[in-house]
Amino acid sequence: MKWRLSKKLSESITAYLFLLPFLVVFVVFLGYPIIYSLYLSFRSVSATTDLYNIFSDMRFVGFKNYLTLLKDFHFWWSLVTTFYYAILYIPLLIIVSLILAVILSNQLKGHSFFRSVYFLPNVLDMFVVGTIWTFLYAPQGGVIPQLLELLGIRYFSQQGILGNPRTAMLGVVIALVLKNAGFGMILFLSAIQNIPTCLYEAADIDGANAWQKFRFLTLPLVRPIILFMVITGMIGALNSFTEIYAMTAGKPSVVLWGKSVDVTQVSGYYLFRQWERMNYGYAAAMSYLLLIITLIISWLNARWLRKKGV
Amino acid sequence: MKSAKFSSFWSRAILYLLMSIGGLFVLFPFFWMVLVALKPDSEVFALNLKLIHPLWKNFLDILHDPSYPFGRFFINSLLVATVGAGLTTLICAFGGYAFAKKNFYGKEALFWALMATMMIPGMMFLVPQFALVTRFHWINTYQGMIVPHLANVFGLFLMRQYMETIPDSLLEAARIDGASELQIFWRIIMPLSITIVTMLFLLSFLFHWSNFLWQLVVNTPESDKLTLPIGLALFKGQYTAEYAKMMAAACFSIIPIAVIFLFAQKFFIEGLTAGAVKE
Repeated sequence: MKWRLSKKLSESITAYLFLLPFLVVFVVFLGYPIIYSLYLSFRSVSATTDLYNIFSDMRFVGFKNYLTLLKDFHFWWSLVTTFYYAILYIPLLIIVSLILAVILSNQLKGHSFFRSVYFLPNVLDMFVVGTIWTFLYAPQGGVIPQLLELLGIRYFSQQGILGNPRTAMLGVVIALVLKNAGFGMILFLSAIQNIPTCLYEAADIDGANAWQKFRFLTLPLVRPIILFMVITGMIGALNSFTEIYAMTAGKPSVVLWGKSVDVTQVSGYYLFRQWERMNYGYAAAMSYLLLIITLIISWLNARWLRKKGV
Repeated sequence: MKSAKFSSFWSRAILYLLMSIGGLFVLFPFFWMVLVALKPDSEVFALNLKLIHPLWKNFLDILHDPSYPFGRFFINSLLVATVGAGLTTLICAFGGYAFAKKNFYGKEALFWALMATMMIPGMMFLVPQFALVTRFHWINTYQGMIVPHLANVFGLFLMRQYMETIPDSLLEAARIDGASELQIFWRIIMPLSITIVTMLFLLSFLFHWSNFLWQLVVNTPESDKLTLPIGLALFKGQYTAEYAKMMAAACFSIIPIAVIFLFAQKFFIEGLTAGAVKE
């Protein structure tokens, strides 16, 4: 008995030595910041400080940041735009990924080539891809407004796509869907390939057409993937920043109830703007509120999934 | 019989057409990027094929631009991504080995505590990590860009999953032969895990190559450690109309990654989807 305990102890020491580098980085830069952020959220940058002491010189302000946040119209608006982003992005992404997967699942010659082509944009830098799209969308000369003009659509010639408040978010989302659809496609493909072919053969015998086979066989069997993409899509919307920074910087603005609001200023971008203005305490408070929102979404999703028995 | 053959021909033709249209949509931005990078400034908006002479003039211009040295930005990006990926892979392999093959106090609790942090959105860490980097005087440094993002919990998970499949008997045999723990790790664990190690290295390389927000936050515009996307962002802010040069700069980020992807796509596709497919 004694021997076994000491064996576990010595094994523990070796294990923690192997874990040490990971744990040190984790504790300093991921574990501690969770608490440190809470601490900062009750503080505010003081007027007299310098760059390197700015954080140690922050003064205590109690719940002021949180109270301001609750009354901040632009913060609540940024949640609305985040929701708008998610509502456009998630269904489009799922539909495009699923279409690509269904086409590729036929295993035609060359399907692996197309699989690579569709997946490729996933690995590229979001900022750079976004920059390319701003150029494609640009007013007065961008290739997409020009091509639309050739088709007789002059609506985008003056403002481009990202300069128009009605289409700016959709423009961002289309660029993102074309970048990310390959990922969802792979998930759907592996799910479709796991469906036993005898099911389809049975459907054939029963005289089902292609649409019926998709609707009543494929679709129910890939539902877990759809749910996964809904959840990751929601978290992705709350985390979105780079695409907005690259493509719209939160613009264009519209006047709403007498206030000027930015139609693509999602919560992640608004948080960044607060950081940029050195409102560190305020930004920390906002991070916490966003964290709580994310956890609530994840919790609701988990509950819902359990209920549905997926 | 004949009509079945006929319809299968047409359905195949339609499928090929659909696949090609999809490919066209997905690749068009990158095709256009390369085309515009080869054009003179006056022609960037024209729908023609008039190219600049010499063809690589825009590339040379931005490589040697005195205020925006994209050659330097490229080297910085390469350095940050390579060192970041190497260190991430190493510490995840060490940690993964401990979780896969050791029985220690607090093992499962620690593992689930680590995994739980994956639920936290990355934006949440922006302010506190920036505060830490400021206090460490790591603004405008390589370590500031690299170190805070080394602890990749998903990487640790991948390593544990994979290393658990290595038979214990191999490790026992080595121990009987008198191998030390480090020898076991380097001589047995690492060679047998080379697939997952390569995969994690490539994924971490991508992550650090595209870690835009963090690199933006750690660098001031005067920094000499600017990476490609940050350099491009500053360039874009100053020369809003120089699209040909912007697209040439974009090529420096897109083409190397596309080439790596071409050669190692299996690793990328399997690695990126590994977390999702397991249920």
